[in-house]
Amino acid sequence: MTEGLLWGMPVIGYLFLAGVGAGAMTVSASMYLRGGSETRGMHVDTARYGAFLAPIPIMVGCGLLIFELGSFEVGNWLKWLNLYKVINLSPMSIGTWLLTVTIGVSVVYAYTYVHNAPGLPDDRRYALRRALSWAAVPLGVATAVYTGILLGAMPSRPFWNSPILALLFLVSSLSTGVAVILLARALIHRKDADSGAERHFEKSGYILTASDTLLIGFEIMVIFLFLMFGYLTVGDVKEAVQVVLAGGSLATLFWLGFVVIGLVVPVLVELYYVMPKLLYHREYVAPRGVEIVVSVVVLFGGFLLRYIVVIAGQITGPVGV
Amino acid sequence: MSQVNTGSGVSRRNFVKGAGAATAAGLGVAALPRAARGAEADGKPNYGMLIDVRRCIGCQACSVACKAEFDVPLGATRSWVEYIEKGEYPNIGRSFLPRLCNQCNHPACVRVCPTGATWKRAEDGIVVVDPDICIGCKYCVHACPYDARFINPVTGSADKCDFCLHRVSQGLEPACVETCIGRARVFGDLNDPDSEISRQIASNPVTVLRQGQGTEPNVYYIAADHSDEHDVAHRGRYVDVTTHRREEARR
Ligand code: SF4
Ligand code: SF4
Ligand code: SF4
Repeated sequence: MTEGLLWGMPVIGYLFLAGVGAGAMTVSASMYLRGGSETRGMHVDTARYGAFLAPIPIMVGCGLLIFELGSFEVGNWLKWLNLYKVINLSPMSIGTWLLTVTIGVSVVYAYTYVHNAPGLPDDRRYALRRALSWAAVPLGVATAVYTGILLGAMPSRPFWNSPILALLFLVSSLSTGVAVILLARALIHRKDADSGAERHFEKSGYILTASDTLLIGFEIMVIFLFLMFGYLTVGDVKEAVQVVLAGGSLATLFWLGFVVIGLVVPVLVELYYVMPKLLYHREYVAPRGVEIVVSVVVLFGGFLLRYIVVIAGQITGPVGV
Repeated sequence: MSQVNTGSGVSRRNFVKGAGAATAAGLGVAALPRAARGAEADGKPNYGMLIDVRRCIGCQACSVACKAEFDVPLGATRSWVEYIEKGEYPNIGRSFLPRLCNQCNHPACVRVCPTGATWKRAEDGIVVVDPDICIGCKYCVHACPYDARFINPVTGSADKCDFCLHRVSQGLEPACVETCIGRARVFGDLNDPDSEISRQIASNPVTVLRQGQGTEPNVYYIAADHSDEHDVAHRGRYVDVTTHRREEARR
């Protein structure tokens, strides 16, 4: 559906990947900080997954953006560097600098986990990792929010021009960040002989899944507010929101693909596994297969959200001449 | 005529100072209340255009003149004329709406440009693009509420009407104005109360396009038909708009 649009797959891919990377970095750093102040934080293994997962999607996403530039299409391959000659109040300019810092921090943050034995007291990169964790949380949040502000800055694009879009992207980024960590854990983790480490692993799994339940619940609320105010208002925004409401050209994809498959199904499955521990303090157990499927579905939902929003914003506009 | 880029008449600015200069320039013209921007304000012109739709016959001579003046590549347009057809036989009407960049006082396009490649000139209020700086990110194309911009497939940069800066700076009229057989287009200095454009604006009911977008256009219309298919559809009336652009829908 993206043929003929100014911003197509590269931009959709960028919004999704930068969101996943920023989310994974935020989640990793907060898990690390939450794990306690000793050298070996309780969630350090999980935090390490997030730290390794964060930089690549952000960098690939930014790389994709370059393919969408008019200058690149006509063979000016390095003209995008002009972005670094100026800093102004354009969201894209601020975003460029923000992403540059975020990429730098995410790479060094990941490095603090490399070939290191974070469990041992002689962990030399402990101080650096801890300091970067404090930077990674706000930077990840800012990057995720920024993707929404980038689109939201234009009154000429009423579908995007909503203060809640940035919040929606933030919540979705965190949720897909959790999902990508859960997915990597489920695919890579081998059972640890040390039962203490294994218990920590299960505990991190529970915290991640429980957080994701909360995040998706919140995301459903934000989507509801987005649509409800679009429906209750008049003029440009009301007209624009029609594309995802009954009869709109993106309605099926939005409701069936994003809302039902991308949000409602995973949140129900997660609730099913989280509830026994939450309510009755039973042991938390989730089969690998379920974790994998749920994570993939959440990531799919996050992608669809960007896909639908990017298209919807471009096929609608102000009414009247 | 060979390719004339938008930037050809633009005095090249110090690149790094660019952002600040562009912002200051934009504010210098735009932030003042209308009354304070009179002829005596600073003696600088503020160019505008008045299009008297009653005199337009939809011949597209302006579109052609503009294309020829700038060698605008196939499929792209700096200026175009929309046909607006309304009603059911026998009660039907058709009117024309010539379109171009509005050289806005609050240009939405300038506000979003991350490289400082586009700015509103302090000396005459014309909004220009420097294709040597522009990276073609398309942000401004999205931000303009009038579809006035496009990415030039030859330069890969944003492009749009620049009020024929290279002609105007030589004391000539823009190509589309000069060619208009109905004299529907009037170009001039809005800061000069005695200019023809100022006199006509003062003595006629005029409108601008999409006023609600807060851009404060400098292109005025007499008797423009502001009906839009999307808006009018709810009332069950037939309206059909032909834009004569490659992207056929207004958005
Ligand atoms: S009409 Fe569009 S391109 Fe022209 S100055 Fe206004 S916002 Fe910018
Ligand atoms: S396309 Fe060019 S002029 Fe437009 S916002 Fe991007 S860099 Fe600026
Ligand atoms: S003023 Fe010049 S560039 Fe603008 S529409 Fe007319 S001919 Fe084209």
